[in-house]
Amino acid sequence: MGVLLDSAVGRGWRVTATGFVFIVFGLGAIVISATMFPILRVTAWDKTRARWRIQRAMQLTFRAYVWLMRSLGLLTYEVHNVERLWAPGQLIIANHPTLIDVVFLVSLMPRVDCIVKQGLFRHPFLRWPVVWASYIPNRVGEELIQDCAATLRAGNSLLVFPEGTRSVPGQPLRMQRGAAHIALAAGVNILPVTIEVSEATLTKGYPWHRVPRRRPHFCIKVGEPLPPSVYNAERRSPVLAARRLNEFFVDYYSAVGAQNQSWPP
Amino acid sequence: MTTKTRDEVFAHLRDTLVDLFEIDAGKITLQSNLYTDLDIDSIDAVDLVLKLKEFTGQKIQPQQFKHVRTVGDVVDAVMEILTAAQV
Repeated sequence: MGVLLDSAVGRGWRVTATGFVFIVFGLGAIVISATMFPILRVTAWDKTRARWRIQRAMQLTFRAYVWLMRSLGLLTYEVHNVERLWAPGQLIIANHPTLIDVVFLVSLMPRVDCIVKQGLFRHPFLRWPVVWASYIPNRVGEELIQDCAATLRAGNSLLVFPEGTRSVPGQPLRMQRGAAHIALAAGVNILPVTIEVSEATLTKGYPWHRVPRRRPHFCIKVGEPLPPSVYNAERRSPVLAARRLNEFFVDYYSAVGAQNQSWPP
Repeated sequence: MTTKTRDEVFAHLRDTLVDLFEIDAGKITLQSNLYTDLDIDSIDAVDLVLKLKEFTGQKIQPQQFKHVRTVGDVVDAVMEILTAAQV
């Protein structure tokens, strides 16, 4: 099967299937936002319970998308130490090589907060699930850090991509300090996740139909949690501590970054 | 209150940047872009403005720094604040 999908015909199939999946994602998001999510919200007792249900529904929806992509022969994947994702109140960070990193990660967690583009909060359909899920809008600056720290201290896990955007092929990973600031402000465990892809896939700057020569394999490894006693041992000023911690993230991800970036799309 | 010259303001600003952010003093010139050259982001800027408040002894509105891009812009903004305070 793998060999077939890596052939020219297979690649043609994967282009078609990718297009199909994009349509399903887009339409599915709107249909689900207009039907399933409102029903879940309305039938829930209160905002908190609604939030849990909606986040769980997000997980199941994204799990269905991952299943669809695998079933259509678009990718294969493996996950290591997934149970570490399920501890509450962790700042989960990951590198960001592809468009579907969020889909994988959210599919693995029944409850997680996410930072999403502010524009989504104005979308006629998608605004409702993001509001009900208590996702956090991506505002610039101090407010975002405080919102994120607050939800973490309340015991909710939060997913953040320190790069802020997808990795750029051929360049070293650039991590912005937002994630570091959030960790220091919240004082919770950091859980680093590594996403390795065998081929450059759905990469920043490349159109959706540039599928890789071979069917890509995703290897998602959940690392060990880092407590504040480890990452903030020196107790420096917040500004300097954030720089140190961010340098640590860059080092931690440098190996996988180099590996992922080495594949020409 | 003694009036400060641009050079004094620049010198103080440079020392502040070295202290706060551990930037190499040699890299700081009037043309240095805060974001692209000195890696100062919006969160850092809040800390910087706090230090400048102490330096000028004046309240500083964030809007006054809205268009600041370079070290030179910061010096200009601080000079404006100091001059306004003298009036």
